[in-house]
Amino acid sequence: MFRSFPPWQKGPNLWQKGIGLAQAQDDTEEDVLEGEEEEEDDVEIEEEEEEDEDTDVEEGEEERAVEAGDEEEEEEDEEEVLKSSKDADTTMLFTRNSETEIPVNLPLQVLVGFANNGEEEFVLQHIHASLRYPQDFSFHIYNFSAIEYDYTVQPGQETTLEYNFQAGEVFAARPFGFVIQLFYKDAEGNFYADSLFNDTITMVELDEGIDTETFFLYLFLAAVLVLLLVGLQQLFSSRGGKKTKRAAVETGTQSNGDVDLTWIPEQNHIYKKSPSPRRSPRQRTTKKVGSGDK
Amino acid sequence: MKLLALLGVFLLVGVATSQDGARLLAAKNLLNEYLVEGKDVTVLYSIYNVGSSAALNVALTDNTFPDTDFNVVRGKLSVQWERIAPGSNVTHSVILQPLKSQFFNFTSAIVTYLPVEDGAEKSTFTSAPEQKGIVSLKEFDKRFSPHYMDWAVFAVMTVPPICIPFLLWSMSKRKYESSGVTGKTRKN
Repeated sequence: MFRSFPPWQKGPNLWQKGIGLAQAQDDTEEDVLEGEEEEEDDVEIEEEEEEDEDTDVEEGEEERAVEAGDEEEEEEDEEEVLKSSKDADTTMLFTRNSETEIPVNLPLQVLVGFANNGEEEFVLQHIHASLRYPQDFSFHIYNFSAIEYDYTVQPGQETTLEYNFQAGEVFAARPFGFVIQLFYKDAEGNFYADSLFNDTITMVELDEGIDTETFFLYLFLAAVLVLLLVGLQQLFSSRGGKKTKRAAVETGTQSNGDVDLTWIPEQNHIYKKSPSPRRSPRQRTTKKVGSGDK
Repeated sequence: MKLLALLGVFLLVGVATSQDGARLLAAKNLLNEYLVEGKDVTVLYSIYNVGSSAALNVALTDNTFPDTDFNVVRGKLSVQWERIAPGSNVTHSVILQPLKSQFFNFTSAIVTYLPVEDGAEKSTFTSAPEQKGIVSLKEFDKRFSPHYMDWAVFAVMTVPPICIPFLLWSMSKRKYESSGVTGKTRKN
């Protein structure tokens, strides 16, 4: 995955004009997915970001594009590009986590102090954090959103910037190279970058007291259990009750019960002709009741 | 022995360079998710001392809330601390009430302090929450109030379509029962 390609295979496509930060991010993501591009590409992309930020491109970078030869030379150049100003003094503080562990799924705050000890003003442009491959920091794994500030710091002044970010759950329990960079420029238009944080960290998942997902899982299991019990009870009660019900059904059609036949017109009454003479008097009485109501 | 002395010198140099006094980082945060006119907004100031010595006579002043736009409900917009020890932090909060619905640019407050005793006073700016929208109370109520009035009106409106059919049914039932049809047959 990290083998070196011969220099002529370094694509000229990497030096296309007008590729923005977002696209540079896409490129790195592709690298992660495909895993076939080599590390130097990422170095170049990083430099490309630099170049895009610097709208007025320095000539040196152009020349480097043409050369694109020796890798070591490039790395040296990268060091040059990413240097910070001697007059700037930066400090950094994680307010909600330690410097070795970063909890996922929590909004985190980084405070950045910037002191201007020089004679010229500085314009703080943006802060950008990224996750790198721990063995090779030039390999980007994930870019956090850059926050724009455009904040001017006068000579002798100090200020604090706030950078908020949140790591996703997918990164949990893995070591990463974590880099936070502050990009700023001076009054003459020279661009600087300061690596506020540049170290290997571990992403951790904090144990919460109650996890809603598992809570509802247990609730669901309990509901299924109750449903099963109710079903079983229904099954047994219907089996046991069958014998008694059968007996009750037989008497339903007899007119000697509570059945009220008065609402049916007289001529529609069809009486069962029973073979036994004993029943006829009973039927006659019911007939009389019906006619009496009319 | 020579090595030890050299080490001592290095240590001294290290101490001398690192002991440039206190260094404060100050954050200003709005704790409310929605800023609503006429409702309380909590502003939290957190000051962290990341320097090597205690910061003395720390004064926080926030002049970014004009009287025409904000009412202070609780707390003070300028506070002082005698000292903030290295590696420690202090917080201060103020409760304000925005008076107008508008976009307001929340900018930095100023913290002044003495990094070393008998040293020159230093000042630093807090972080800024930047531009935030203050929602009008009407708009906020439309989204989040319990809508008691609306539900009461709804209840009144549902009375006729429920009660009229019920009255019709109960009247017809009473008429039927008073005619005595059911009563007579039951007796037999």
